[in-house]
Amino acid sequence: MSDPIINVELFDANFTTALCPELILVAGFFALMIIPNLGKATFRIPGTQIRVPYFLGGERYPIFANPRLPGWIATITLIVAFVSVLMSFDGGLQRYMIVSGSKELLLINGFSRLFELIFFGAIALAAIASMNRLQSFDSSDKSTNALYNNRRQADFYILLLTTAMGMAIVALAQDLFVLFLGLELASFSSYVLVAFHKESKEGTEGGMKYFIVGSVASGIGLYGLSMLYLWAGTLQLGELAVAFDAAMAPQGYPALPLIALGFILVGFGFKVSAAPFHFAAPDAYAGASSPVAGILATASKAMGIVGLTRMLLIVASPESNDDSAIWLVALGILSVVTMTWGNIAALGSDNPKRMLAYSSVAHAGYMLAGLTAIGAWNWDPELAGHGGDAAIMVMTAILFHLVVLVCFKLGAFLVLSILESEGEVSKMSNLRGLSKREPLLAVSMFIFMISLAGVPPMSGFMSKLLMVMGIVKVAIGNMGDAIFNGDILSIGDAHWVWWLALIMVLNSAISMFYYLRVIVTMYFHEPEGDRQGPLPSGWQVRTAIFACVIASVFFGINADGLIELCEMAANSLNYSWASQ
Amino acid sequence: MSGSSSSEVVHSSMAEYAPLIILLPMLAMPVILFLGKVFNTNPTWKNTLKEGGIIALVAMGASLFISLVIIKDYIGSFSNSGDIYSLTWLNTAIWEGGSAITPIKFGFGIYIDHITVMLLFVAAFLCFLINIFAIGYMNTDPINDNRNHRFYAEFVLFCAGMLGMVLSDSFLWLFIFWEIMGLCSYLLIGFYYERPSAASAAKKAFMTTRIGDVFLMIGLIMLWDLFGSLDYAIVFDTANIAAVDSGSLQMALGMMFIGAVGKSAQFPLHVWLPDAMEGPTPVSALIHAATMVNAGLYLVARMFPFFGAESMSGELIDLAFIIASIGGITAVMAAGIAFVQDDLKKVLAYSTMSQLGYVFTGLGVALWLANSLDWHHDPAAHTIVVVAFGAALFHLFNHAMAKGMLFMASGSVIHEVHHAHHHLHHDDHGDDDEFDAQSMKNMGGLASKMPITATAMLVGSASIMGLPLIGGFWSKEGIIANAWRVALEDPRFFFPAACVLLGAGMTGFYMTRMWVKTFAGKPSNEVAAHVGPTNSWIKTPLFILTFVTLSSILLAGMGFTHWAPDSEYSFLSDKGLVDGIMYELGHAFANHDAFFFILTYVAIALSAIIGPFMAMSLFGGKLEEGEDCKAWFKPVIALNNWVYNKYNWDNSGIATSGLAVALQNRLYIDKYYDLAMVKIVAGFSNKVAEADTKIIDGAVKQIEDKSQKISTVVRSLTTGSARDYILWVAIGTLLIFFFIWGVA
Repeated sequence: MSDPIINVELFDANFTTALCPELILVAGFFALMIIPNLGKATFRIPGTQIRVPYFLGGERYPIFANPRLPGWIATITLIVAFVSVLMSFDGGLQRYMIVSGSKELLLINGFSRLFELIFFGAIALAAIASMNRLQSFDSSDKSTNALYNNRRQADFYILLLTTAMGMAIVALAQDLFVLFLGLELASFSSYVLVAFHKESKEGTEGGMKYFIVGSVASGIGLYGLSMLYLWAGTLQLGELAVAFDAAMAPQGYPALPLIALGFILVGFGFKVSAAPFHFAAPDAYAGASSPVAGILATASKAMGIVGLTRMLLIVASPESNDDSAIWLVALGILSVVTMTWGNIAALGSDNPKRMLAYSSVAHAGYMLAGLTAIGAWNWDPELAGHGGDAAIMVMTAILFHLVVLVCFKLGAFLVLSILESEGEVSKMSNLRGLSKREPLLAVSMFIFMISLAGVPPMSGFMSKLLMVMGIVKVAIGNMGDAIFNGDILSIGDAHWVWWLALIMVLNSAISMFYYLRVIVTMYFHEPEGDRQGPLPSGWQVRTAIFACVIASVFFGINADGLIELCEMAANSLNYSWASQ
Repeated sequence: MSGSSSSEVVHSSMAEYAPLIILLPMLAMPVILFLGKVFNTNPTWKNTLKEGGIIALVAMGASLFISLVIIKDYIGSFSNSGDIYSLTWLNTAIWEGGSAITPIKFGFGIYIDHITVMLLFVAAFLCFLINIFAIGYMNTDPINDNRNHRFYAEFVLFCAGMLGMVLSDSFLWLFIFWEIMGLCSYLLIGFYYERPSAASAAKKAFMTTRIGDVFLMIGLIMLWDLFGSLDYAIVFDTANIAAVDSGSLQMALGMMFIGAVGKSAQFPLHVWLPDAMEGPTPVSALIHAATMVNAGLYLVARMFPFFGAESMSGELIDLAFIIASIGGITAVMAAGIAFVQDDLKKVLAYSTMSQLGYVFTGLGVALWLANSLDWHHDPAAHTIVVVAFGAALFHLFNHAMAKGMLFMASGSVIHEVHHAHHHLHHDDHGDDDEFDAQSMKNMGGLASKMPITATAMLVGSASIMGLPLIGGFWSKEGIIANAWRVALEDPRFFFPAACVLLGAGMTGFYMTRMWVKTFAGKPSNEVAAHVGPTNSWIKTPLFILTFVTLSSILLAGMGFTHWAPDSEYSFLSDKGLVDGIMYELGHAFANHDAFFFILTYVAIALSAIIGPFMAMSLFGGKLEEGEDCKAWFKPVIALNNWVYNKYNWDNSGIATSGLAVALQNRLYIDKYYDLAMVKIVAGFSNKVAEADTKIIDGAVKQIEDKSQKISTVVRSLTTGSARDYILWVAIGTLLIFFFIWGVA
């Protein structure tokens, strides 16, 4: 990162370069609003017989009335945005700061670019897969069919794009208010997406609950923001960091900002579905269509992690050996409760989607444990010379985990999505005999499950390994040298985050049970009576699943490139702990 | 960074492609299996692709091609040992600072040295030829219809296992591929799993080699304990070897040797090999010539750097003696049992055991020499070690080629006898089960019917017997001479030395007996009289291998025998090819040393005159009237007939003697093993199984039950009512609030 950050005013010279992916999304909105409505509409100039065609509305052209069209527009938009992010890495990433006067609004760097990749990638996969959901609603009832015509499709895909947009803003935000705006844009879109299948009771109910609980959590988070503003007089991340640094000195933090952070944690905690704020998530996942549930479990979670990372790095990155350690303890407890709760609840869950929801709660716990460890990196003053290597390693692990989570968690939801287009997927028994009905799909699900469980050489193993090693590295600090010098040290000499690593490993062991149960159901049980033969066709969703399988395996065997990317992103956070 | 994958190339650039040698067959396996499942009865799949045989052939051909390029590259560059190409999957080094802590590396690497090159050629070349043979053999037998894809899938995986074992750069990967082979041998021997005998043979092979494998694993764990790694680069490092205790190293290597004994079917773990003949004949060729049995030899050959290290000088001679003795015992015992076998393939099976015994003796002798002589500084000692080691490896090569050919030829005979029988008894289905197409009692006089096969069999037998100038002669003489050389220095070695000398004569006897009973004399029944020539898929590999075996003198002349793990020695040393051949001839037949001169002629007399002579006098005879044979058999048949007529004696007394009966019963070893299994192991197993059900399963069930209950309780908190959810959010918020409030 030799190049300095370029400040860009709104609509300045570099504005389009800097925000290229977001602008592509905006173009996509307009395309989705206009193209499906193109028709033979004309306008008669009053008093004359001249009819001027203006194309919006009227009898629509068949090609634009094709119900698949909105899906393709959204998919292509997202893929183009994804590729444009990828291309920005080419030849070294140029960092930009979008400013308005003296206020920093959006920061484009490795970190935010990586998250854009996660968001766009996940939502693009969900968009492709959703195209095959059309047929399942095909009914003889004309009015129902009408509901699913392409305008409704357009609504669905516009919401997908707004979700992507909101998430991208969260990733870029350098101002808590901007961040909150992005968060709410994404949240509101996702509430509607969950309830999108309004004919079903579960969908509406799940969406409603998700909305109610989500708005309460957002309210609390907003309250926390206002307290922070009250204390510091600013919501700029940079200025807040300075304020925290200044406040830290000998007397320790005042209670106000810490409590504010506690409330903000609730807001983001809901997004990552940390216990005990996760309750609406299983209902929402079970009610939503599987691709949407997949977005909630991957992209939405990543968005919450962005928020938490931003908060944590301001608060906990300054010396943790004073009062801010309270904050760490709170986060640590939260992570333990979250991962244990998620895993235990998933153990007995008989609904595959709820099982995956609980498993995603457990995964949130793992990542919170990582964040705790980052906060604790400098517990030992003697470690200062190490330049936060361990902290960067943990951050890398979290980012790596978020990327590969898109592959195997979303992939698992997409497999369920195919089953869902056939009928209900509310029981584990619906998966029975999948190996006989569609062997390749069963193999894919098998790979996703062992990847989720963290079996080598899958990418899920690599992410867990990196996380555990990072946490342990933080916990032991300089002890390796000490042991080498002949000192005898006990486990009590390590930082307590060591226990997080241990609990994480134990939890992984528990989680094997319910992941393997899916495999057993697929391979060793005969298909249910009325669910025989091959599943509904649809190459789009299968392509998406195939991509997920390849990525799940590839990033496990050859993780080199991705780890480098994540490491670069972790470094580019550029807070005091980072080595550069 | 602690988690990363990377690849690095050291030395040769061709080595970069070496992983493909393993990967291609490995990838061919799922492809064949999948296509076979889908297109099982499709005519294109059946006729053009030979039910996957062609796919396997392409993969094996590509592997062979890359192998040959690498070997050429290697020989051409006179590269020193240890070309390494490694793919690292994961590096971990948690402890920072403290440089002495070795990082742990997980990855796969390619290690190419003289031994690798040798075994790589044998494995890749024979796998390819056997694949050709298998297409001719398997696809024409109706019993295999619609399941040949399973055969080819297992076949390519087996080959991948062998190639991987040879190429891998650590004992850990060696063990992994070793086990892949073990699995495949189980699957292939039990290919006709509907036959109880095949199923039990597969089980026997698997269990017996498993005993060896357990010891191998123990040995590897001990080795890890000594070196902290199993990578060749680390364990073969002279400085590292100097740092370990020789007694512990000897124990570890001894344990590993037991693994080799199991895999190479040496006494006392030899019992699986004759039963393994239940598999289809290509499998027998694969196991006995190209892959499985050579794995054990390869493992022992790999131990050379330990024995050759200066720091270990004189410390490991006991193990070398054990290796040589086990080889000697097996060589004689197996040859004895081969005397009385009537099953064509079983004769070959015992012959395999016996010849592998030779290689083990050769290796033991070479290791003894490397361990006792000061070969690092004394050029004369250096040559002795290199020649001894080279002789052992050269015998491995010669045996692999000859035995591959013999098995394929025997397969061809069995195939045609079976067809002839089928043809003759097409109408009456009654006696189909009683007819044994493998028994030599049903053959005889086939030389006139199957000239190519008979030639191949003749050349192969000659090579195994060690008839002067053909194939195995060069290496067998080397092994015998070196064994006696050591025996003069270490009297214990008189035992293996005597064994191999005696074995030479015995080999001459049983191989001649086999050939004569099969190809000479009169057809013993109607079926043998109706045998026709074989198809070209089967003939081609026989033809190629005949040529290779006959040209063994060229390889010997090129200094092939000096193929030892030594960096200073080159293949085509200073001599030219003709000089090399002349040197080898002079060395063999006109040795300056009187002792070796006599020894050579004693061995030749035993193996080429006395043994065959006795066999001919017992079992010989001329072809039936009116049957003609190719010109090159005529002298053989005539000699055979002359000996038979002149010296024939009634051997029924010997045949019913106690020793013969014991040999018939394989010296009762199998019987006592069975008894031991039933009495001791089975009883113990039952107890363990009981304990497992009650204690371990019980505990697991309890845990599962309890955790399900807890899960139900936890999930019951998710009531489905948004009100409750908000309550929980509130509780969480308040807890955080009070926590921070309380502390701050």
